[in-house]
Amino acid sequence: MGKLADALVALDKNAALAATQEALQAGTDPLALVNEARQGLEVVGEKYDCGEFFLMELMRAAQIFQSVAQVLTPKIVEAHGGVKTSGKVVIGTVAGDIHDLGKNIVKILMECRGIEVIDLGVDVKTERFVEAVQKHRPQVVGMSALLTASVSEMKKNIEALEAAGLRDSVKIAVGGGIVGEIDNSVLGADLATVDANEGVRQIEQWLTA
Amino acid sequence: MAEKMTPFERIEAAYRMEVPDRVPVTPIICYMIPYLAGLTIREMFTEPERHVQAFLQFRDLIGDNCEPNILVLDHLSMLGRAGWDQVTLDWRIYDKFPPDGNVPNLYEKPIIEDYDDVIERGFAPLLFNKKLENRVWTRSVDDFLYYQYEYRERWARAWREFVEQTGIPLLKGGRACHPLDLLQYYRGIFNLTMDIYERPDKVKQFCDWVWEYEAYHAMDIAMTMGAGEVPGADVIFFINGGPPGMSPDIYNEFYWPYAKKMIDTFVNRGFKVWNHWDNDHTPFLETIKTVTDGIPKGKIVMDFEKTDMKKAKEVLGGTVCIAGNVPSALLVYGTPEQVDAYCKQLIEDCAEGGGFILEAECEVPWDSKPENIRAMIQAAEKYNPYR
Repeated sequence: MGKLADALVALDKNAALAATQEALQAGTDPLALVNEARQGLEVVGEKYDCGEFFLMELMRAAQIFQSVAQVLTPKIVEAHGGVKTSGKVVIGTVAGDIHDLGKNIVKILMECRGIEVIDLGVDVKTERFVEAVQKHRPQVVGMSALLTASVSEMKKNIEALEAAGLRDSVKIAVGGGIVGEIDNSVLGADLATVDANEGVRQIEQWLTA
Repeated sequence: MAEKMTPFERIEAAYRMEVPDRVPVTPIICYMIPYLAGLTIREMFTEPERHVQAFLQFRDLIGDNCEPNILVLDHLSMLGRAGWDQVTLDWRIYDKFPPDGNVPNLYEKPIIEDYDDVIERGFAPLLFNKKLENRVWTRSVDDFLYYQYEYRERWARAWREFVEQTGIPLLKGGRACHPLDLLQYYRGIFNLTMDIYERPDKVKQFCDWVWEYEAYHAMDIAMTMGAGEVPGADVIFFINGGPPGMSPDIYNEFYWPYAKKMIDTFVNRGFKVWNHWDNDHTPFLETIKTVTDGIPKGKIVMDFEKTDMKKAKEVLGGTVCIAGNVPSALLVYGTPEQVDAYCKQLIEDCAEGGGFILEAECEVPWDSKPENIRAMIQAAEKYNPYR
């Protein structure tokens, strides 16, 4: 790995930004630098999976990535005419639930991986999920919830997508504190997880399949 | 086996890690009973006599101690840091029960932007923050003063009568928040993570400033609730175990020193401490084992949410009483048989030799099935390892 990826794994923002500037000055393609930063993020994810890193460290790595991306994005637009995304995800916290912590973590991790995220916010009613899928045509719908009462909302949303003839066009991932305690077969989602990193990795696999 | 104990004696024995007559069982019920009794949240918040009457009506769901819902006092108060509740509570639920969503429902919006400003001028300026819920200002000054002072006394009187009538002790008399939890609410988890890495000194400065305020606020409420006179009112409910996903370095530098300092303060002033710590503290059990260092033993309960209870018993057994952790979803969506099986396993894993309280992992959801709560309470009688 290069200096930039190393700095990301060391969770050292200043070193990551310095490595980015140094590489740009040396004429490195900014797209290659984004890929290197993603490599670093990947290593952080692996360390998180094996229990060496914790959620706050995963978030910190994502924050550093965002800072690096802020520097690189205009350079990529300049050099390549735009930034390619690797797919589109509609995400929201379901109706009746206004917790957005988990949703936001997943959103940031997805954006770091080049995924376009349409964030519907919190307390998202069923109709808004359906409308967003019709409008944005995402490959994945993510639903987040912390509270027990939200489980029935998730189920309602999945049934509404089915009724609207949209269910087969999207994968559905559900996440949040309560999801780990229920049987996913009741919900009918394609993925149910309490682990942000696991969720994002699965979504990325769906998008690249 | 010990002689049949009163609920208070049973809980006290657990604190002291002595073997009681059976495993104490204490589902934390805030909203479920008022809901079953047909109260709106407004009635539940503002009419303590009816609130307590509801708990008397559903006494079979209570267990060995009772949650006196003192959070309501913070919700209705405006002064000091309690103003936070005014700005983050989802007040749409106020007149509805069941609500459209769930309770308590709090907006996660960062309301501290400048640490120095808060440290210099206190929390009051936050209340003028443009992100405030406007409805806060529809209340009169008299109204705020009433809920800040007189109402507390009324609340305490109602619960004192409950204890006198039932012999069931209160779960707690005061409630304190760890500074990092407050920061998680005030700054949001994303910003707090950034602050810990980019301006750790400011985070510590805030923690140094707020911990004592928070500790004394909790002890003040506990005194109003009758600490020293009303069984259980001398317990400080210390929440919430910090933000999720702390690394051991962050835990040791930012969480544990303040947690220990606050616990020591409570115990050294004659209070007991019920540490209701959410998330998974399994990686930190060895640190938690030092919780009784330098203070008298038998004054603390470690109440865990997602922590591995078997491991907690292995590490903390003999040092401190542990409590936990019947999952919320099981209480809402499970069957009495499933609850029974979960409780049986918990008792097998944790009860040997005393120092264990059978507890829900967090506050019992308002939409839990009453038969599941009864199954939990019955499991403590049914699977008695101390016979």
